[in-house]
Amino acid sequence: MKLKIRKGKEAGILAVFLAISLVIALSSPVFLRIDNLFDIIKSNIVLGIMAIAMLPIILTGGIDVSVASIIAAVTVIIGNFMIGVSSNIFAVFVVGCASGAVLGLINGLLVAKLKIPPIVATLGTMSIIIGVVLYVTNGTWITGIPQNFINFGRTDLFAVSVREGEPIGLPIQFVFLFGAAVLMWFVLRHTLVGRGVYAMGGSVVSAERIGYDLDKITIFIYTFEGFLIGLAGSVHTSIMRQVDPGAFSGFELHVIAAVVLGGASVLGGYGSVFGTLLGVALFAVLNNGLILMHIPVFWQKIVVGVVLIASISVDILQKRYSESRMTRVDIEPVEG
Amino acid sequence: MDSSEFLHIEKVSKTFPGVKALNDISLSVRKGEIHALIGENGAGKSTLIKILSGVYQPDEGAEIVIEGWRAHSLTPIESAKRGISVIYQDFSLFPNLTVGENIAVARDIEKGSTFVHWREMRRTAGKILERLGVDINIDASLGSLSIAKQQLVAIARSLTYNAKLIIMDEPTSALSKGEVDLLFRIMRSLRAEGISFLFVSHKLDELFAISDRFTVLRDGKHLGTFDEEGLDDDRLISLMVGRKIEYTIFPKRKRTEPVLEVRGISRTGCFQDVSFDLREGEILGLTGLVGAGRTEILQAIYGINPPDSGKILLRGEEVSVHSPIDAVRYEIAYIPENRLAEGLVLRKTMSDNIVVTVLDKISNRLGLIQRDKQNRLAQDWIQRLNIKPNIPEMQTSKLSGGNQQRIVIVKWLARDSKILLVDEPTNGIDVGAKMEIHRILRDLAESGMSILLVSSELPEILAIADRIIVMRRGRIAGQFDGDTATQEMIMEKAILGIKQQVG
Repeated sequence: MKLKIRKGKEAGILAVFLAISLVIALSSPVFLRIDNLFDIIKSNIVLGIMAIAMLPIILTGGIDVSVASIIAAVTVIIGNFMIGVSSNIFAVFVVGCASGAVLGLINGLLVAKLKIPPIVATLGTMSIIIGVVLYVTNGTWITGIPQNFINFGRTDLFAVSVREGEPIGLPIQFVFLFGAAVLMWFVLRHTLVGRGVYAMGGSVVSAERIGYDLDKITIFIYTFEGFLIGLAGSVHTSIMRQVDPGAFSGFELHVIAAVVLGGASVLGGYGSVFGTLLGVALFAVLNNGLILMHIPVFWQKIVVGVVLIASISVDILQKRYSESRMTRVDIEPVEG
Repeated sequence: MDSSEFLHIEKVSKTFPGVKALNDISLSVRKGEIHALIGENGAGKSTLIKILSGVYQPDEGAEIVIEGWRAHSLTPIESAKRGISVIYQDFSLFPNLTVGENIAVARDIEKGSTFVHWREMRRTAGKILERLGVDINIDASLGSLSIAKQQLVAIARSLTYNAKLIIMDEPTSALSKGEVDLLFRIMRSLRAEGISFLFVSHKLDELFAISDRFTVLRDGKHLGTFDEEGLDDDRLISLMVGRKIEYTIFPKRKRTEPVLEVRGISRTGCFQDVSFDLREGEILGLTGLVGAGRTEILQAIYGINPPDSGKILLRGEEVSVHSPIDAVRYEIAYIPENRLAEGLVLRKTMSDNIVVTVLDKISNRLGLIQRDKQNRLAQDWIQRLNIKPNIPEMQTSKLSGGNQQRIVIVKWLARDSKILLVDEPTNGIDVGAKMEIHRILRDLAESGMSILLVSSELPEILAIADRIIVMRRGRIAGQFDGDTATQEMIMEKAILGIKQQVG
């Protein structure tokens, strides 16, 4: 029955997504135009990769609030790398992913080895990383990204001509989102570490008893998360063609919101890659719709906060209710 | 050790600081045998199970033989490798995963494989469920199954490890009659395959229905292993109880004035139709086996899990206690289990330790502590509990053990309560400290406080309770006067209940 509820949860998110899309489409004809749709995709690819990166951590019942700092650090590192060392596209992505993975590894070690609660550990690294980034860059933008990288970032997969202006197509960066999603799905579904992530979220004590190496799993998911954030940072730079060290301030909330909107339980154990992608899509459409309907931007923040608290509350209340009604005593039946 | 035995242990002892939990135990389990492990709460059953599963290491000198393989102690990995599998009461399963994965994933973990093999996993799980002859969908989410089916999944999982001895702690405590029958049928068919069971239960009718042999523990000692013949309920109960009373027996009082009247309260899955009076200045002992619903009653009265139906009257007036905040307003205090074993901040003064639970009462509107109020409160309690020396500013570490124990209690009483609910106050502390707590509780009762005391330790209940209520499976099974009750009388009610008086 619970499984049905969970499947129902994803179907529910899909329904909400379609309903909101319909409302926006009816009130703003621009919404369904192909260039607007491609635009929505392009501006949410980074969010999508980050949300997928965060998913396993939420699945274990943890959280990472340092993701925005990590991606800021990655963009600064590859920005300097491109200008100072090499703008070979492959090399840039390798450097981006590696530096993200190292920062993730630090989080993983703090949580797994020193047993610092994830919220505290990542709050600390968030502050340290962004502090170092601002110290190094002094807050100034990095411009002058080499032309070959800019050209790479402009590539469209299959271009469509719209009435005015240049042809527009599915941005090449979409490939990375797709790849990250497939990779994460495979890891979570078909590797022992991935199953361990779900097991930990279901019951830490049981996971330990059955023989999962919890430290290894924890270190892996934070490092893998860092790796994917590195990928997201590289993708982001190829889209923006410059580096703004302050661009991601507050972005961690968007990432967490997208994962939670996608049906993952903050208490751990439940959530999927498909759900997370739906969460990102919902978040993206909500955002775009508010802009198209000329609703002031602050409403977006309010809506996100409300939806976030509402969906988390449902999880927690459900759990508390089922725990409080759990049978503890086998009551003796009356005579007979 | 003869070849019909799977497990043989000898000279197994386990000492914890201040307590000898097991004393020179020997035990053997034959291949294809269902062996019951019996004893009062605290007799050492759990400790023994933990030694067999490798969680605890026994004291020096123990002998453990598993199918000819000898050792002095086990690790969890060794224990599992030799075919011992423990099914804990929480089953150690994953509610969010499928039945198939719960049963079969351990194999992949054991092999240390990188990938999980879903098809093989489903096939393994399907085969084992078929072998057990139970109809459970392997693709269902475990959390959607009944407790009984989850238990069968746990048994199925231990078979994937090639378990030869399955240890179960109170396996029938959450099952209905039909579910118990199914479990027993499966246990018998596995027994026929040569698999052994060691299980703990307090339900004598079930024990007699399924067990081949019984081992009785009392006070950490092995009283004997018996065949079913020549053993009946009475004999078994008299074997289980009869611990020496090493405590001071306090004179009991007859009180008459009811302070708290509980009238027919019920809560689904916790207790059913419970009525009793708590009288002014008495200690009312609430005993029974673990899981009989005693703690749940305290929590209901304190408003943590309020009853679904029934009434609670306070000095003749009906009250509704829906939260601990209400309870505190009605001057009810609750000391949960283990709280008295938690210590004090020894480097702080007596006064500082006393007031930690009442900081709101002694602080002003800005939340700052008012020293004069603190001193008055501390002084007052030091006098009431006769703590010596009478110096609130003295560092707590300089007090004697008994006086420190008093401070611990004061910490919980400083809220100025008239009714005290206390759950297993002496669990896990040494005899001296226990007796100190007994004296304090008696003193409090003499000074007019009404105390509802939950305790599993019969000698303790008999030493200090004026009246005794025995619970069994969520209901009241019997009531006794503290000065005439015996351990046998209480245990008989706790195990057999009201109706099945076997003569």
